[in-house]
Amino acid sequence: MRGLSWRNFDFLLLGAMVLASAFGAMMIHSAIAGNLDLAGYDVRQIYFALAGVAVIILLASIDYRYWLSIYLPIYIVMMLFLISLSGLGQAAFGAQRWFQVGVLFVQPTEFAKIVVILILARYFEKSQNDPRDLKWLAKSLAWVWGLVIWILLQPNLSNVIVTMVIWAGMVWMNGIGIRQLLWLGLAVILLAFIAFPFLQPYQQARVLNFLFPDPNARHGAVYNVQQALIAIGSGGLFGKGYGHGTQTQLRFLKVRHTDFIFSATAEEFGIIGAIIIILIEAFIIWRCIRAAQKARDVSGAMIALGVALLIFFQGAANIAVNLNLIPVSGLPLPFISYGGSGLMSLMIGIGLVESVVMRHKELDF
Amino acid sequence: MSSSSLPRSSRFETWRLFVIYALILLVLTALLGRLLSLQVFGSQNWTLRAVDNYTREISSPAPRGIIYDRNNYILARNIASYDLTITPANIPDDDADIQRIYRDISALTGVPINHGTLEEAKLYAPCVEGPGIAQLVELGDSLAPYTPVKIKCNVSEEVARLVQERSIDWPGVGIEVNPIRDYPTGSLTADVIGFLGPIPAALEEQLTAKGFVANRDKVGYAGIELSMQDVLAGQNGSRVVQVDVAGKELRNIEPPKAAVPGYNLTLTIDTRLQQAAEASLLYEINYWNMYFGKTRISSGVVIAMNPKTGEILAMVSYPTYENNRMARFIPGYYYEQLNQDPRHPLLNNAIQSEYPPGSVFKLSAANGALNEGVVTTSQIIQTPGKLELCEQFTPNQPCGPNNTRPFVDWIYDKNPDGFGQLDFYHCIAYSSNVCFYKLGGGYGNEIKNGGLGIFRLGEYARALGYGAASGIELPGEVDGLIPDPQWKRIHQAENWSTGDTYIATVGQGYVLATPLQVLMSGATMANDGKLMQPTIIKSIEDSEGKVQTVWFNPQDFSLWVPSVDENSGREAWKNLNDGTIVDTLPAGSYQISPFVPNMKWDITKDPRIAEYQCRGGNCQKTGQMKVVDPSVVKNVQIGMRMAVTDPRGTLHNIYTKDYPLPIAVAGKTGTAEYCDDVALKAQRCQFGSWPTHSWTISYAPYDDPEIVIVAFEYNGGEGASVAAPVVARVMKAYFELKAIDLAGNGG
Repeated sequence: MRGLSWRNFDFLLLGAMVLASAFGAMMIHSAIAGNLDLAGYDVRQIYFALAGVAVIILLASIDYRYWLSIYLPIYIVMMLFLISLSGLGQAAFGAQRWFQVGVLFVQPTEFAKIVVILILARYFEKSQNDPRDLKWLAKSLAWVWGLVIWILLQPNLSNVIVTMVIWAGMVWMNGIGIRQLLWLGLAVILLAFIAFPFLQPYQQARVLNFLFPDPNARHGAVYNVQQALIAIGSGGLFGKGYGHGTQTQLRFLKVRHTDFIFSATAEEFGIIGAIIIILIEAFIIWRCIRAAQKARDVSGAMIALGVALLIFFQGAANIAVNLNLIPVSGLPLPFISYGGSGLMSLMIGIGLVESVVMRHKELDF
Repeated sequence: MSSSSLPRSSRFETWRLFVIYALILLVLTALLGRLLSLQVFGSQNWTLRAVDNYTREISSPAPRGIIYDRNNYILARNIASYDLTITPANIPDDDADIQRIYRDISALTGVPINHGTLEEAKLYAPCVEGPGIAQLVELGDSLAPYTPVKIKCNVSEEVARLVQERSIDWPGVGIEVNPIRDYPTGSLTADVIGFLGPIPAALEEQLTAKGFVANRDKVGYAGIELSMQDVLAGQNGSRVVQVDVAGKELRNIEPPKAAVPGYNLTLTIDTRLQQAAEASLLYEINYWNMYFGKTRISSGVVIAMNPKTGEILAMVSYPTYENNRMARFIPGYYYEQLNQDPRHPLLNNAIQSEYPPGSVFKLSAANGALNEGVVTTSQIIQTPGKLELCEQFTPNQPCGPNNTRPFVDWIYDKNPDGFGQLDFYHCIAYSSNVCFYKLGGGYGNEIKNGGLGIFRLGEYARALGYGAASGIELPGEVDGLIPDPQWKRIHQAENWSTGDTYIATVGQGYVLATPLQVLMSGATMANDGKLMQPTIIKSIEDSEGKVQTVWFNPQDFSLWVPSVDENSGREAWKNLNDGTIVDTLPAGSYQISPFVPNMKWDITKDPRIAEYQCRGGNCQKTGQMKVVDPSVVKNVQIGMRMAVTDPRGTLHNIYTKDYPLPIAVAGKTGTAEYCDDVALKAQRCQFGSWPTHSWTISYAPYDDPEIVIVAFEYNGGEGASVAAPVVARVMKAYFELKAIDLAGNGG
């Protein structure tokens, strides 16, 4: 291991992440209070976070290029995992989104997003001197869709969109032409209209409920989002106090430890708490982009950028769902929402970013 | 590693990174803007909705007041009804335990464990049998897990006790106790007491504002339960509690308000006399129906009242209904059956039906004729069996064979010569139609100036209580009808004829009266011209037995209690229905609790008779009002007494032979020809074969009356032989009960 310097380790990034995870664990504790089925999830989340910190240090100490060198086995193994969860796999194992490993439920999709970042980083590194033509674009897309197609078949549209946003961001930064971009945008819009009839009924309903809410549906499809809005709105400036949010504690707010944990925070800590969460997330994103700028090669930059985009898009989408700005998606709030796989995959991402940032100088005596 | 040697700035185009930053900033701005609009500007509204989410108002029902008779015998009360419930949130987690509980409950109640689907269960109202236990609980669990689900309603007390006993073995299984109205006297007092029903949709808004709960609380639908709803109902208590999303009550948000029980009511009814009256009426009706081998007498009424106080002691209307069958809910088939019965069992015929009063109406004509000087007590009137009278529709219409009609006395069939020569007293005692035709419509030189005439007859009838609702505290009272030429022009499109006056004088033709009005006319005579307000309420007490002061306005059935005007601090009156405060009570109101005798008027002192100037059949009001001379009242009383004492008097046989009484009785009978839809169908509305209602009114003791009784039988026939025995038996029962009470008090 040459050039390993812990002086370059981004302690601010780690600190922000630990802060976010600790705050998340605290909010999970508040959200699940009194719910016997979810008892102990807060402690589990702390264990995941601690394990995650260990993973970050481990990954930081390993050169990220090592992972790029074994990209093909990683790609194939992940593909096999995803296939087993997709329509093909369901026939054999029944419909699931996770694998049970002991007491843990592992969601491969969460880790697949990191694999997509690695694969794209390798591709753009390799093709950095190629002309930015359609072939270049198509090949990058082909690598992504080798994994994403199985996610789409699960079906898990939200995570497909996440990976496509990461891809789009990387393509953009690698110098896609403006004209190509416009064609691409047109294609996406067309695809959205063509694909809508093929969506699962529940997904169609979510989109329609968002676009055309039924004013009379109190306990219908809009219930969860309505309760989230009530929670956020009633939080006011300073919130109702930790453990005193009526929407959260009396369980009017649904899935409050995962999808709607932002609403729980906004209710108990008010707009102050909500802004602090957004600022921490923004700080983490900024540190990742900073790492991308400092990276010594394209692959490192792409890894850092991909992780930044992953955190940004998931975070923004989650908060936007809470604020009823976009249809319900089911994406967790990075580092805050409960979920071992999600937290671990993000920690792996941060570990890779630290690996990149630690190696940003060629020589460091 | 060629790439790593490139300068860092060349790896990314800076403007592309700026675009990324700009996008992120844009998104952050959007999120912040939305946060601001929700949490800062919209906060108040959202907070209201959050409070609305966890706040629930729970109403605790107020017990309805109990209704007693004058001897504190219970006529209406609340009894417990037990519903077996399961609270979904409290049943055990283990499926085996759940199945064991379901099996036990199924064996206990007979409700199947599984029946139908969950979707089907949604279609059933609570308490309706159909879905299985598992379906009911599953449905309840998905709606409000902490709300008990009714598995079986109205289980026996034993089952209720068993469930309480085994509550440890059966977690989640409970008993809900609901008050159900119970009427120990049932159909005997149903027409007076009435029954309850659910809050009607039209009143829901108004009653909900007063704290009632639709689909739970019940309101009066008839009788005293309806008219005294405002005092009987009480005020529901309320608790404002915090609930979680499952509906589990967590704590009181506001101090709870206890329910205020409804006031208890004591009626003037004496259930024993009521029972005697019903038995007497039914005996007579059944006797005659059996005698004729068909249902001849289809309905009847008996009312007994104290003429000096106006207290109604008994009020029986036949046919009636069983109000206990309406206690839990109003069964559709039963209600339909009552509603379609042509005898109208749901009507209290004593006040809600009007009939031609027949000869009992002659009391009005007798008072009028004597007071107006149409006749004197010493005058002898010729009363042949029938009169041939000229029917004139205009004063100058010539009389000939075409418009000459026979007017027959009731004795004509037995004795075509009639009563012969009668004085005023015997006209009353024998109830001679011919005599009253002459007094009412005039007869040549014998009774001059066209007799009393329809206008003046109407004045005296109204003075005795006819032609207007009495104002008793029972709903749905009708006015009766005192016809006059103007009424006839409007409603019959025909001129008033001389024959109409003759017929009206004997209480037939267009004259209509409720049995209560007939009773009031007799009571006025008995009480020396003083008409007392008939009342059925003796007192109103709160739940601690303290007698309340309550006034009643018969115009709109509002109830008033003394209060204080908050603005002026002066004494005022509060409307129990809508809470309005007024300084002076509405005119016509009278005190119903504590009981005081309320005199409507004294015809010998209060000028209630309008004076008329009559010339050739045309009568004009002079604008003067006059009273009835006390001697006139006395003379009519003598006539009524002679109906009993004179051997040929209409009530002589009844009170001297059939039901001899050692007490001086006076009275008047009536046999009223009628023609209604039923009689028309039977083709009996023809001369000589008209069906007749039976009437009899009696009071006793003659010198110092304390009881006046009226009996009415629809299509009963001759009053003296069909209605009089009913009255006589009730009269006898009254004095027997009085003797028992005296003996009881003395001992």
